[in-house]
Amino acid sequence: MTINDGWLRDLGMELRRRGVPGGTADHVVAEAATHLRDSGEPPMAAFGPAGAYAAVVSDSVGAAWRRARRPAPGPMRLRARGIVKRYRRRDVLSGVDLTVHAGEVAAVIGANGCGKSTFLRICAGLISPDKGTVQVDGSIGYCPQDGGTIDFLRPEEHFVLVGGGRNWSRERSRAKGRAAAATLDWDASTPMLSRHLSGGTRQKLNLVMAGLSEPDVLLLDEPYQGFDRGTYLDFWEQVWRWRDSGRAVVVVTHMLNQLDLVDTVLDLSGANRERWS
Amino acid sequence: MRKLGVVADMTLREMLRRRGVLILLLALPLAFYVVRRNGYTGESIRALFLGLSWAISTAALFSASAGRAVEPRLRLSGYRSHHLYLGRLAALLVLGTGIAVPLLALVALDPAQDKVRTGGVALAMLLCVTVAAPFGLLVAALVPRELEGTLVLLVVVGMQMVVDPAGAGAKVMPFWSSREIGTYAVDHTGSGYLDRGLVHGVAFTLALALLVAVLSSYRLRTRSHMRFASGR
Amino acid sequence: MLASGVVDQERRSQWLRGVLDMCVLAMVSGGESYGYHLVQAVEAAGLGPIKGGTLYPVLLRLESTGLVATDWRQGPSGPARKYYRITAAGQATLRQAVLDWQSFSSDVNAILQRGNAILQEGQST
Repeated sequence: MTINDGWLRDLGMELRRRGVPGGTADHVVAEAATHLRDSGEPPMAAFGPAGAYAAVVSDSVGAAWRRARRPAPGPMRLRARGIVKRYRRRDVLSGVDLTVHAGEVAAVIGANGCGKSTFLRICAGLISPDKGTVQVDGSIGYCPQDGGTIDFLRPEEHFVLVGGGRNWSRERSRAKGRAAAATLDWDASTPMLSRHLSGGTRQKLNLVMAGLSEPDVLLLDEPYQGFDRGTYLDFWEQVWRWRDSGRAVVVVTHMLNQLDLVDTVLDLSGANRERWS
Repeated sequence: MRKLGVVADMTLREMLRRRGVLILLLALPLAFYVVRRNGYTGESIRALFLGLSWAISTAALFSASAGRAVEPRLRLSGYRSHHLYLGRLAALLVLGTGIAVPLLALVALDPAQDKVRTGGVALAMLLCVTVAAPFGLLVAALVPRELEGTLVLLVVVGMQMVVDPAGAGAKVMPFWSSREIGTYAVDHTGSGYLDRGLVHGVAFTLALALLVAVLSSYRLRTRSHMRFASGR
Repeated sequence: MLASGVVDQERRSQWLRGVLDMCVLAMVSGGESYGYHLVQAVEAAGLGPIKGGTLYPVLLRLESTGLVATDWRQGPSGPARKYYRITAAGQATLRQAVLDWQSFSSDVNAILQRGNAILQEGQST
């Protein structure tokens, strides 16, 4: 009985993490409980690991639900055209194009060193390309792969600093930051300095900072480094939320298992292969 | 103004939490002072000024280096570059004043220094702070890493220490003003030293701040490949 | 022998994966039913044992696409259960699926029997 209870609790948690709506999640858990009682089977034999079963459930209802409530893509938010970047006479990017509309997610993929981060930094306007333009309609939020936080400040002070750029009151910045952190299963009211946070938590801080000022375009450079599996799922749920609220999101990633859920895939290693041939 | 205040506040908090650095910031000028104290009166006070200048410029260097990775993000979240460099400068001036005040009290209360003009010492210290802060920011903007910056500051302070203050080259050194005003305060010279020092200090403060402004604005400029839709 | 038994089992579960949703739809078309009961019914029908972890996602998909309607109710004996029954849309889908399956399976049958007939001829000569 206790084995069942533990497994059912895990299932409920995993379902919620994957964004399955609360009512549906409760029903799935209750139905599984009834099944276990009726059949007398142990949960692992009947359903397998709670996380895996939750993933299957989320795929059959969550994905449909996600697609159903998803608004149609809006106006163009980001358009990179003919981006060329050379380092030491080597073309890192050779004529890369990318267009992302409001309510769309684009994934930038490719092997290490193929220029994914460089491309994102060019889109953010942090570095200049050798050729090409980036057209942006709206404000930009950028989350770097690492760095980007201030060692001797607390998480909430980071929020105040970022919110200050929008002329928000300190309390408003703090409250918004804490709320965004909570969606990543993180209590950001800690008095710990950023330098003492674990790598994964610091990346959560980075991610919250990027989204805090509610930018129209979010540029995320593999922000989930150091995340455990649950947080990784929370991260993608956050990406879907941003998309559903009409943001344009660009995610640099080397993980391919989420690609079926994004709208555009820009494969930079593919572009380079073309160049070699 | 609010944006500038937030940047200054957070920069100050960040610096105040580096306890070890704070202790060194106070200890360094103090050590300069104590080492020279048994010699000629003016020497110890001039050493104190140099120690203070070095400490504040080093603090500015480290603060600017720490902020380098974050400033582009803050630009994206709504700050203009002048909010960022002026905010940092303001924080450094507050920190510098906080360090200068106890040192000034030390000089004022030191029985060996009962003949100096305390007002002159205070003015010289103020100029040390106002010159050193943008000077450290400027060095940070020009060199790639903290190590190189620290060495540059070491060279400048070392040269300032050995250069003949009456020579032609001395006037181009950033901390010459404190030496001149120091002479006025310690040796009770005429106001020529005071005037020269004041003009030099103010001019250097403004010139260095202007250079920092130009370099920061360039580094944090809106890149020419970016096309922002109108109306936003 | 054992190896071929394992392969058979795998093949059967692959076949079942393709048709389980239609079989479930057919089984609830006669009247409402609940999860564990359907597991037993599938096994009783000779399709082999299926896990709850396989069946419930299928039911959820049928529910989210509106082919079955559900109702949480206290059963005649035992705890509250989620009962499934077919909807009008489900009936239409089932009718179409039956036609599709018949056409598909007869095509498969035709190919298999032709192959089998050639083998038989080869053996007899």
